[in-house]
Amino acid sequence: MIWLAWRQHRQQALVGALGLGLLALFLILTHVGIANTFTSTGLQSCLSAPGGDCGPIAEVFDRQYHGFQILAALFLVIPLFVGLFWGAPLIARELEQGTYRLVWTQSVTRRRWFSTKIALIAGGSLIGAAAFAAIVTWWTGLFIRADDNRFSPGIFDIRGIVPVAYTLFALALGVFFGTLVRRTLPAMAATLGSFIGVRVLMTLFARTHYMAAKTVSAPLSVQGGGFKFGYEDPAGAWILKQVTLDRAGAIAGPGGGFDLNFLNARCPGLIPHAGALPTQAKLASCVREVGLHFITTYQPATRYWAFQGIESAIYLALAAILIAASMWLVRHRLA
Amino acid sequence: MIAYRLDGRSGLAPYLQLVQQTKDALRLGLLHPGDQLPTVKEVVGSIAINPNTVLKAYRELEHEGLVEGRPGVGTFVLKTLGGPSADHPRLRRRLERWVVDARDEGLDDPSMSALFDATLRGSLRREGIA
Amino acid sequence: MSAAIETTGLSKLYGRTWALRDCSLALPTGKIAALVGPNGAGKTTLLHLGVGLLDPTAGSIRTLGESPRENAEVLARIGFVAQDVPLYDGFRVREMLELGRHLNPSWDHDFALDRVRRHDIDLDQRCGTLSGGQRAQVALALATGKRPELLVLDEPLASLDPLARREFLGSLMEAAAESEVTVLLSSHLITDMERVCDYLIVLSAARVQVIGEVEELLATHKVLTGPPRDHVAGADVISATHTDRQSTLFVRITGRIADPGWSVHDVTLEDLVLAYLAQPTASALPGPLGGNARRDRLEARA
Repeated sequence: MIWLAWRQHRQQALVGALGLGLLALFLILTHVGIANTFTSTGLQSCLSAPGGDCGPIAEVFDRQYHGFQILAALFLVIPLFVGLFWGAPLIARELEQGTYRLVWTQSVTRRRWFSTKIALIAGGSLIGAAAFAAIVTWWTGLFIRADDNRFSPGIFDIRGIVPVAYTLFALALGVFFGTLVRRTLPAMAATLGSFIGVRVLMTLFARTHYMAAKTVSAPLSVQGGGFKFGYEDPAGAWILKQVTLDRAGAIAGPGGGFDLNFLNARCPGLIPHAGALPTQAKLASCVREVGLHFITTYQPATRYWAFQGIESAIYLALAAILIAASMWLVRHRLA
Repeated sequence: MIAYRLDGRSGLAPYLQLVQQTKDALRLGLLHPGDQLPTVKEVVGSIAINPNTVLKAYRELEHEGLVEGRPGVGTFVLKTLGGPSADHPRLRRRLERWVVDARDEGLDDPSMSALFDATLRGSLRREGIA
Repeated sequence: MSAAIETTGLSKLYGRTWALRDCSLALPTGKIAALVGPNGAGKTTLLHLGVGLLDPTAGSIRTLGESPRENAEVLARIGFVAQDVPLYDGFRVREMLELGRHLNPSWDHDFALDRVRRHDIDLDQRCGTLSGGQRAQVALALATGKRPELLVLDEPLASLDPLARREFLGSLMEAAAESEVTVLLSSHLITDMERVCDYLIVLSAARVQVIGEVEELLATHKVLTGPPRDHVAGADVISATHTDRQSTLFVRITGRIADPGWSVHDVTLEDLVLAYLAQPTASALPGPLGGNARRDRLEARA
């Protein structure tokens, strides 16, 4: 049975390996240039020296590679390919072409037939996805050093161990729809739609709740020619929400700023006349009086791997349920 | 080696057709005592009939004492039908001459056949057989 | 076990249509049986139920004494060729036989190779490029390669030219001659069936209409021609056509036909099948007086 599973899917495996190889080659080659720019902009030396703000240099470095954002989008989609081209046709193709009538009348139960095929394809997907995740994690390393956004949505999804879980989930989704719908193309469409749907919902809504978020508060003060926040975003954290509140807790403005009209209502005469800006001194005293402070809700960087683990576990559990459902359909509902 | 055929339109049961063809071959001297008849597998492989038909035919021939089945080896001819010169060269030549004469008189093949059948039946009746 | 396939009240519902309705039959071992009937009568459904590709809605089916569903042991003893002869088109013929070897414990590889070579089929050719006749031979080699006790074939002759049909039937009969295998094949080509089959099952409108030994059926069914009359003593009339001068009756003999006014003619298997298919209410099933299956069961019990 292993012989048959390999013989049937060896072309897919080779195409997958080839694709992965080409991607790896591309990433390795481009990394040479990235590493060079990393040192030539002085970012390397800036970051190795303790203290110091490397922000501006990092921005120079980042601007060089804006085009690579497309790659990040591609990396997000690669797990889906496994679902579409390995998962959806697995069962559906045999049903469409009628070869199930040949193979299910050999001396093998459907349970053994399905288990062997799934085991082989999932094993291959696991190895491929792990290699893919490893190389992308390595390749994005310098960008993370320049600006640690590995916890933010979009970047979180292409590094670490979650890409492996997404791949197995996509595979399971493809197999499930292929078994349910019994035709490859509609199964691919269903896999595409539901994979995107689940990924979006999980990333935007579920992920924020894996652990209770932390908050930190910093007072706003006016100094010199601008505002000093006395505050810095926690390094490497995933910032969920930032809001400016007054002493009582009323929202002073959108996001991390504040609305001058809000202050004007509390400190009459702050704005001398329409269109004019308040004086530095008046602004400073009003801010102090109102008690403006800045609340950041975030997930700390130390929780990165816990989140990777939780999210992977959820997707793997979903994959397992879908595979079990597919097995049941194969044994009881097909033909 | 004899090659059997099945005539779907003959009124005769398939196994009897095989028996008949075997007997014809014996009469014409195409089969001699000691010759092996084709195996059941060979027959059904070439003319696609039920193996039991062949088995039945061979059993019938064995029953009539014409062949003998040796288990594990095959089915073998025991004796011939017809006289020592089963070829009948003299009779055949005279028949050929008669056919030429009949054609000269304008008889077509079916008419010749009908004439022969009628004469044969007539002679059998005279001999008190039919 | 005296029956290769035995069904009791077997029924299969698809949506709201009954593909098979209350079928009870027993196919004795060692027979080469023809399964005939109009399209949609339930032939493929019955065969698929027999090899575990379908589950009954009601009733039961036993193949070689066991339920064939998810039963690798019994599947090892059954060879099946599905309609349209499915093969893996991308596989070479050699690889198709490898599949047989890997998936069947009782596989005889040399036997299967020999069967394929005997028909001048190139082992390295891809199955998708084979002719219809060659596909059928490969499928037959695959089915017989596991040396089964039962061979089930669903319309294997359907898309074959006359020469390929003859060759395929020849191969099938060779397989039957070699071992004690029971064969069940469905086909529309009743004249071909008459050459090779000694047992007949007629399915019509989801039910079994006729079942029995071909020899017995042909012996007990006749066409009578005679004066215009619609009944005759000593026979059950299955169908009749009349002119003002003459009646032609297709009958099943139940006794002696004493009336000399009737001329009795033999029928072919095709005549018999067509006559019954035209008369859905008529049937020829094993009963208290006849029926091989019933007799077998009685003998087994005694």
